[in-house]
Amino acid sequence: MAATFFGEVVKAPCRAGTEDEEEEEEGRRETPEDREVRLQLARKREVRLLRRQTKTSLEVSLLEKYPCSKFIIAIGNNAVGVWEEVGCAKLWNEWCRTTDTTHLSSTEAFCVFYHLKSNPSVFLCQCSCYVAEDQQYQWLEKVFGSCPRKNMQITILTCRHVTDYKTSESTGSLPSPFLRALKTQNFKDSACCPLLEQPNIVHDLPAAVLSYCQVWKIPAILYLCYTDVMKLDLITVEAFKPILSTRSLKGLVKNIPQSTEILKKLMTTNEIQSNIYT
Amino acid sequence: MDVCTFEKVGIRGTNIVVLGVEKKSVAKLQDERTVRKICALDDHVCMAFAGLTADARVVINRARVECQSHKLTVEDPVTVEYITRFIATLKQKYTQSNGRRPFGISALIVGFDDDGISRLYQTDPSGTYHAWKANAIGRSAKTVREFLEKNYTEDAIASDSEAIKLAIKALLEVVQSGGKNIELAIIRRNQPLKMFSAKEVELYVTEIEKEKEEAEKKKSKKSV
Repeated sequence: MAATFFGEVVKAPCRAGTEDEEEEEEGRRETPEDREVRLQLARKREVRLLRRQTKTSLEVSLLEKYPCSKFIIAIGNNAVGVWEEVGCAKLWNEWCRTTDTTHLSSTEAFCVFYHLKSNPSVFLCQCSCYVAEDQQYQWLEKVFGSCPRKNMQITILTCRHVTDYKTSESTGSLPSPFLRALKTQNFKDSACCPLLEQPNIVHDLPAAVLSYCQVWKIPAILYLCYTDVMKLDLITVEAFKPILSTRSLKGLVKNIPQSTEILKKLMTTNEIQSNIYT
Repeated sequence: MDVCTFEKVGIRGTNIVVLGVEKKSVAKLQDERTVRKICALDDHVCMAFAGLTADARVVINRARVECQSHKLTVEDPVTVEYITRFIATLKQKYTQSNGRRPFGISALIVGFDDDGISRLYQTDPSGTYHAWKANAIGRSAKTVREFLEKNYTEDAIASDSEAIKLAIKALLEVVQSGGKNIELAIIRRNQPLKMFSAKEVELYVTEIEKEKEEAEKKKSKKSV
């Protein structure tokens, strides 16, 4: 205790340490309010898989309900075709711009799952949001289930900025956009591009999916496109084209000569909006 | 920083300098004239830039003032090298000051000096500048530069129309939808900057396409 100039008595900070320790212990003990906040936050961050038409939750994992032979996961703007929507995964984390998690419209739905109309055993997942680390396991559980089938092939497409590519070459000489691949042990086919060199690593959901597939011995390949434009961009999307001629995906795609025109139309809306660059 | 720039090509001919740029799609309600990529710095020098439009505006204004200041002080128009060095020095200053960021533009500066020789220089955000016979800046600059390396010959630049065609051909390698997305400007010796209209560009593009067809016909005849 100490007296100030004005006569009031204030508690002086104690350098002995004993009083502080007591205060810290009190802080460590979780109060019922803290527990409630933590549970609410966990509920908010839960990954929910919803059916398309009814918007009701799926009771089992997605791939148990809809077994597939080929699963293509596209993560990021540039990695996202004749698909029918099957369901979506809604989740919220601190990176999300919207705060209302219950009324997200299907256009805002973060991970949308489609299956090919002509071949329902081919699935596509389009994920354009950030899935936080604690949510990645939940996402995997909800999509693959706890005991996933091994007779399916997974292809993951994702993008990264070229400045993240670690190389001894000068970045100016890199032919961006360019592809690199990473595959699980059980994936026997060859990749259509060089494998990702050390010390580069894959991050976030694509890494989680690939690790999951490696653990469960599912053949999976990840194609990572290093690009200098992170928005939707024609040149980056075209960099993914060699993947369409690989053995696993060749049968799925028609060789449409107008594909470049169609892509250009999709990109034009984005181009016009930006006046910053010339 | 995203690099979302469109192609620019500069070619130094014997009697002409050509600047070709890829036009970006303009919104319907936007006035096209305000989206110019080729700017005159003086009567005999002009510049095309790739990068942040706002940064380019600042650099161009400073360069234009410097051109006039030089003319008034020494009673001679600037040489292309002088104004390029001025722009490069300005850019370098911004890489070495605290609280400032570099200018996010690369520029192609073309023109004729008093001695009648054509010049082409390229600058980049670091403040370096180099002289070139032909160069390209922008997203697919490597592809265009490779094309220019193969096709830039003394014959190709001997006549004005051949130099113009070379610039258009180089742009067509990477520009998405052909002639209507190309803007062209030339400076001839002792003449001011001339901007080509869309029709004039289209005429050259048609000529180029005809020449291509004829060349292909000849090839197929030879193989038969």
